[in-house]
Amino acid sequence: MTTQIQPDAAARTGDPDAPLLTIENLEVTFRTRDAPVHAVRGVDLTVYAGQTLAVIGESGSGKTVTSRAVMGLLPRTASVRGSIRLGDRQMVGLGEKELRKCLGREVGMIFQDPARSLNPTMRIGSQLTEAIRVHLPLDRRQARERAVELLAMVRLPAPARRFHEYPHQLSGGMRQRVMIAIALACQPRLLIADEATTALDVTTQAQIMDLLLDLQQRFAMGLVLISHDMGLAASYADQVAVMYAGRVVERAPTREMIAHVRMPYTRALLDATPRLERPPHAPLPVISGRPPDLRALDPGCAFAPRCSRVRERCRQERPELAEHQPRHEWACFFPCADDTIPGEDER
Amino acid sequence: MTTGNGTGRPLLEVRNLVQEFVVRAHGGVRGGVVHAVSDVSFEVRAGETLGVVGETGSGKSTMVRSVLQAPPPKSGEVWFQGVDLATARRRRDLVAARRQMQAVFQDPYGSLDPKWTVFSIVEEPLAAYRTGDRRQRRARVEEVLDLVGLDPSVFGDRKPGQLSGGQCQRVAIARALTLAPALIVCDEAVSSLDVLSQAQVLNLFERLRTELGLSYLFIAHDLALVKQVSDRVAVMYLGTLCEVGPAEELYRNPLHPYTKALLDSIPSPDPERPRPRVPDELAGEPPSPLDPPSGCRFRTRCPRAADICAAEAPPVRAARPDHTVACHFPLSPVAPVSPARHGGDGAAD
Amino acid sequence: MAVQPPDLATVRPGADPAADPLDAGPRPRGRTGRRARRRTGKGLWIPGTILGLIVLACFVWPLVYRDLPSPTAGSLLQANLPPFSPGHLLGTDPLGNDIVSRLLHGGRVSLEVGLTSNAIGLLLGGSLGMFAAFRGGWLETVTMRLLDMLIAFPSLVLVLVVSTYLTPSKLNVIWAISFFSIPTFARLARAATLRLREQVYVVAARLAGARDSAILLRHIAPNVLPQLLTYSLLWVAAAIAIEASLSFLGFGVPASEPSWGMMISRGQAYISSNPELVLIPSACLFLTIVCLNTLGDALRARTGAP
Repeated sequence: MTTQIQPDAAARTGDPDAPLLTIENLEVTFRTRDAPVHAVRGVDLTVYAGQTLAVIGESGSGKTVTSRAVMGLLPRTASVRGSIRLGDRQMVGLGEKELRKCLGREVGMIFQDPARSLNPTMRIGSQLTEAIRVHLPLDRRQARERAVELLAMVRLPAPARRFHEYPHQLSGGMRQRVMIAIALACQPRLLIADEATTALDVTTQAQIMDLLLDLQQRFAMGLVLISHDMGLAASYADQVAVMYAGRVVERAPTREMIAHVRMPYTRALLDATPRLERPPHAPLPVISGRPPDLRALDPGCAFAPRCSRVRERCRQERPELAEHQPRHEWACFFPCADDTIPGEDER
Repeated sequence: MTTGNGTGRPLLEVRNLVQEFVVRAHGGVRGGVVHAVSDVSFEVRAGETLGVVGETGSGKSTMVRSVLQAPPPKSGEVWFQGVDLATARRRRDLVAARRQMQAVFQDPYGSLDPKWTVFSIVEEPLAAYRTGDRRQRRARVEEVLDLVGLDPSVFGDRKPGQLSGGQCQRVAIARALTLAPALIVCDEAVSSLDVLSQAQVLNLFERLRTELGLSYLFIAHDLALVKQVSDRVAVMYLGTLCEVGPAEELYRNPLHPYTKALLDSIPSPDPERPRPRVPDELAGEPPSPLDPPSGCRFRTRCPRAADICAAEAPPVRAARPDHTVACHFPLSPVAPVSPARHGGDGAAD
Repeated sequence: MAVQPPDLATVRPGADPAADPLDAGPRPRGRTGRRARRRTGKGLWIPGTILGLIVLACFVWPLVYRDLPSPTAGSLLQANLPPFSPGHLLGTDPLGNDIVSRLLHGGRVSLEVGLTSNAIGLLLGGSLGMFAAFRGGWLETVTMRLLDMLIAFPSLVLVLVVSTYLTPSKLNVIWAISFFSIPTFARLARAATLRLREQVYVVAARLAGARDSAILLRHIAPNVLPQLLTYSLLWVAAAIAIEASLSFLGFGVPASEPSWGMMISRGQAYISSNPELVLIPSACLFLTIVCLNTLGDALRARTGAP
């Protein structure tokens, strides 16, 4: 059932070492009445074929805006600068029509809320067929066959029957499978999952993540997981990028990152996450304060006001993201040493 | 703080709680009865936190609402401080009990009236119970706002729209605290917050517990989060309780296959731990509460299911002191006796 | 953990579409409010000013300017004066009545009918709908079915019946028109209340011990009222139009009290010789209704009411 899908995907992956997605110095600013909101302030990211990158951050960190910028899905009030290259095509400044052609064919996206991403008045099948026919020169019957094939591929039980059902007849997990099928209708080389499993139960989440990784291996896709969940990133991603206030503050291969956290913010995130290993009632080590106002940022490090390791230099000067150790980048003047807990060592 | 524990009875005791809804799908077709909560019994002791975990559709929120009598359950008893709320027909008893049992809900913005100021929101319970004069009320509101870490002079006049999610949740907690309750029911109270504000609010709950001697009934779908705050944990599936036990032990040594599946599905921040793995049987979707399976509700997805699971509902059995499970084939041997009740007298025998 | 990530696709009504998803702290409501005001500024201020002027002219000018001729006591000697005649800025009608004075008086009648019937609808209908929805059960069913029956009636026919049965008078016209505003407002209030009743903060208020009456007055009504008020602007326009139709058909207010509709109706006979007799009141009617509608739409967009 996948024979029809495989060769095409293989043909399109030319140079396996060339990055699929290259984001360089991306800046996104939203115009508002009084002051511009600098949502993304110079982000560099690279995704290779067959690689899974997790972008971690809280709301307001700019992780979602970055992914929307790749998809050209930002509202009109946004101005985008920098470079987003998909393969060797520059996406920034692309017209609406060309962009639309790219979306779906080159890059697919799944969102958090599968209920709102599907049209409640259309049958699953029609929505999927429509997505296929926008990009592929198939007639109605071929598109239909392809759609059922895709539903089987995402392991939707009884795909031929589900084809004729409406979204409300499916559970959340099944709807997310349909969304994946739609996103993969044209075998994009890159798939962005924006909090795709956040609204799902843990058991369903585990199944959907299994499916995503499996499909990624099969089609050698690049996968970007946008999430707030360190656990999800650590379990499924090859590489993790942590964002804070519109910038990437730490990036490393997953094992390296978790084993040797350098950025105090990443440390704070990890410490504040409840874990199964922790005994009940043990207070969570948590930093106070809230993320900064993105309209008026100080010249120094955006995390300085909440940081336990802050010194005078952090308030004056902004640390840049740099590769301080092989393949481990961070943006901090006074990084954590191994096994330090914020607040425990000297200030 | 009165906890109603003078008699040695638990603070809250729920017996055989049943909640059902009649649904009329379009034009009366495909209607039916949603068996949201079926025969659930548990207790919350004074000063302890009982966590309830379950997935979407497990009925945990409905169960909480039934305990709060909003709306009242179809049948069953809800004993709170010696009063059965379910049969307390007199409004006065119900109102008096409610004073001691307050709730914090999931949606930080939705649970606060957008048109009210923080001050009047927190004052509302005092006004509703006609407690104190104006000055006393003002002092009390300022006191509880301080308690949840909001400066009354800064936040008192703000409206919910001007607050962050975490701050809204603090306001909701402050409102729950104004009447000095004995029990706070938290229905996914931190689920929609970011990791850091979530940790802040969790720590706040813990602080209030020790400072004020509160008890919590803490509902969430996140197992790690529930463990963080709970003394005992109850696992709910499709309207029934599968397993109730002390937090540490239940997580280390789950007895019900469903508990184990849940635990195995959680991705851990520790990359050395194996990737979450879900048994194939579980891959199916949970059945509809409109038409729950016969016998054990979990049998359609259970790797250990046998004929008896379809034939009869598993009795609640005490495995260890205070640890009960409702399963025909628990993961480790349990006593063959079967008169135990979840979280109830199991400890006694 | 179900942390809601920012969602650019869904922007809460009244919120700033750019700042909301990036919300990094307190929501500065003042700012978003200003922004919304600018966006709908023209739609709000232009019709608002015009309406204000019309109301001033109709209600205040006759009080201040004592020399205004009576709208009904014209002399046939002065019939059919052309516009810009001395003492009669817009001339006189075939009975010698001053047109300016008739216009102002007519506007007063139209607005009075529109506003009063609207206020009745808002108060009676609004509270009926709110109460019915809040209590639910058979009370709601019975109330809403009764109101549905009213709605199902062809409106003009019912108004005609009512106003012919009762003697033609301003008050009776007002009651007749209220027959429609009441069920309309009731339905609107009911829909809003049903939505609010499920809000967590209403449940929370109940758990906090608030009585039904307190919840209804302090939580439900303040949140329903803006929606009703916005809608009521549209209804004033409709009520004025209905009154004009009634007067045009001769069932409206008595001849002693000219209204715009009546002026149009009377002027019809002279449309070929003196078209201004029809055109001027029509223009006034048109302007008022357009202004009310634009204002209502602008307010609705601003408050995010459905």
